[in-house]
Amino acid sequence: MQSFVLSSEQLNVLFETLMAKMPMMGPKQRSDQPGFYHFDWLKSPGELVLHYTTTTIPPKKAFFPPVETMFSFKLGDPPELTHIIEDTPFVLAGVHPCDLAAIKALDDAYSVPPADKRWLANRRRAIIIGSDCLPDEYCFCTSMNTADARLPCDLFLTPIDRGWLCEVHTDAGKNVLKNIQKDTAQKKDIEDASQWRLQKAEKISTKLNINFEAFAKILEAGGLTPIWKEIADRCYSCGSCNTTCPTCFCFNKYDEFDTTLTSGIRKRVWDSCQLPEFAMVAGEHNFRGERWERVKHRWHRKFLYLFRQFKRPYCTGCGRCSRACTADINMADVINQLAAASEKERSHA
Amino acid sequence: MKKKRIAFFDFACCEGCQLSVLQLDEKLLDLLDHVEVAAWREVMTGESDQYDVAFCEGSITRETDIHRIQNIRQTADIVVSLGSCASIGCHNALKNRWPTKKALEIVYGEQAKHFDSIPARPITAVVDVDYQVLGCPVSLTEFEAVFKCILTGQAYDPPNEPVCVECKRNDYLCVFEKGQICLGPVTRCGCNAICTAFGEPCHGCRGLLDQPNLEAAATVLTADHLHKIMDAVAHQYQLTREEVLDKFSLYNNWPELTFEEDDTHDT
Repeated sequence: MQSFVLSSEQLNVLFETLMAKMPMMGPKQRSDQPGFYHFDWLKSPGELVLHYTTTTIPPKKAFFPPVETMFSFKLGDPPELTHIIEDTPFVLAGVHPCDLAAIKALDDAYSVPPADKRWLANRRRAIIIGSDCLPDEYCFCTSMNTADARLPCDLFLTPIDRGWLCEVHTDAGKNVLKNIQKDTAQKKDIEDASQWRLQKAEKISTKLNINFEAFAKILEAGGLTPIWKEIADRCYSCGSCNTTCPTCFCFNKYDEFDTTLTSGIRKRVWDSCQLPEFAMVAGEHNFRGERWERVKHRWHRKFLYLFRQFKRPYCTGCGRCSRACTADINMADVINQLAAASEKERSHA
Repeated sequence: MKKKRIAFFDFACCEGCQLSVLQLDEKLLDLLDHVEVAAWREVMTGESDQYDVAFCEGSITRETDIHRIQNIRQTADIVVSLGSCASIGCHNALKNRWPTKKALEIVYGEQAKHFDSIPARPITAVVDVDYQVLGCPVSLTEFEAVFKCILTGQAYDPPNEPVCVECKRNDYLCVFEKGQICLGPVTRCGCNAICTAFGEPCHGCRGLLDQPNLEAAATVLTADHLHKIMDAVAHQYQLTREEVLDKFSLYNNWPELTFEEDDTHDT
């Protein structure tokens, strides 16, 4: 892997050059609440904030918008169908390591046949520029092995004394840097970046007390119903844990007719397994009608089912669900609580 | 196919829901192409009592209202409760926290004897309705969706998801982050989070979500459940039960917070 050094001015030139060619999405300060950030289309490179803490909604929205139109249709024999798929390139900048790991996780999940054409098409459009971060009290990326994740970014930026260390991870990334003034990275620059990562790891206060396989086995063994019920007593089933999650990929689809009643569009929207109707089928039978069953499902899904299928938990330790939960249900705390309860049970047996 | 004849009727309310429907502008004309308008007092003079679909806004607050809505139910094939007054009771049911006689005295003083009043209730509490459009005022997106469902003979279930879902889909800042109390987590969405879009907390105008227990198909929460939610909110945000009650009672009085005549209620 090649690394360069860019001064802040040179980095700005890079973003200006890119934005002259294509739209760019990145973290910017919310106009309605200073100190809060969100991923959005940038009007100018100056809006980009690389030293942001976190965002409510993850950057997966660049590839899988919360609400999108899949196709338009016109009734008839045969009916007409026009797929709406964008193909213009864009840049997604300022993606933290945990969110890069999440995009990789979704690449894998959406590639399982039948592959999600919309996700894959949007992914092909994008140049991804990652950037390193400092954690807050909800982050637990070091426990999820995502603190230093890089794939699938094209370039990755780490703040150093001389400006930014820019790692080149793909040919596309190399291309982007072609006509940009830069320095080759010296030993000191690489050390600066390692120092940043070390400092970040030291700042992480939230940690899991159990490894993935052991936790999967606890879930598999079951018998934790009283704990799930206790957590569910606090849960509103508002779905915010799912709708802020960078690895959740479930969606709902519905049709909207226009006023002629003969044509319309099909939309898809982010869904949540915590909502009562999520697992409802014909005859109003519900696989997870009880709140505690839905709460349990979230941990089972992320740390057992998908862990077994893809050999990695579908959680990156970004802490968004814990931050968003108005009932203070904390992803890491629940895992540690279950681990402790299981340990206690075993020592009594 | 013969065009359906539609009619709009109002009970106790501000008639703002009918007015909102007019704000569909050109789209309203397109929708009306599919129907004939038999009665719509806010829009046209004259009315016919021959109609297939009755859009009814407002709450039932007098004995005479009961007869009127029952009559409409008998005439129409399809009855729609239009807006939160008709669907969940809304502000009208605020008065239910006092005995009816006391409420009449507070408002009309010595003239109270001239007025006939009963505890306010939504239309849905008096007759079966086929469709509900919620909101104060109605969400036009939902009105349009319901209108199309009626035209195409489809059922419409109001969404049973909290406002938080729409807030997140729109990437709005959670108003809890600003230290405000929001009823979004327990309020039915469908408004596209219009209040939080403008930085306001949700006041719960579309009513509370269904009980999580879907075995009980009832669309109305039990008093127990409501009090549990209020206590949870009070605990979470270190508010008193009264402060939380104030927030909930703006729209969600029926039937949980309705005064029972035999109860001793200190007001």
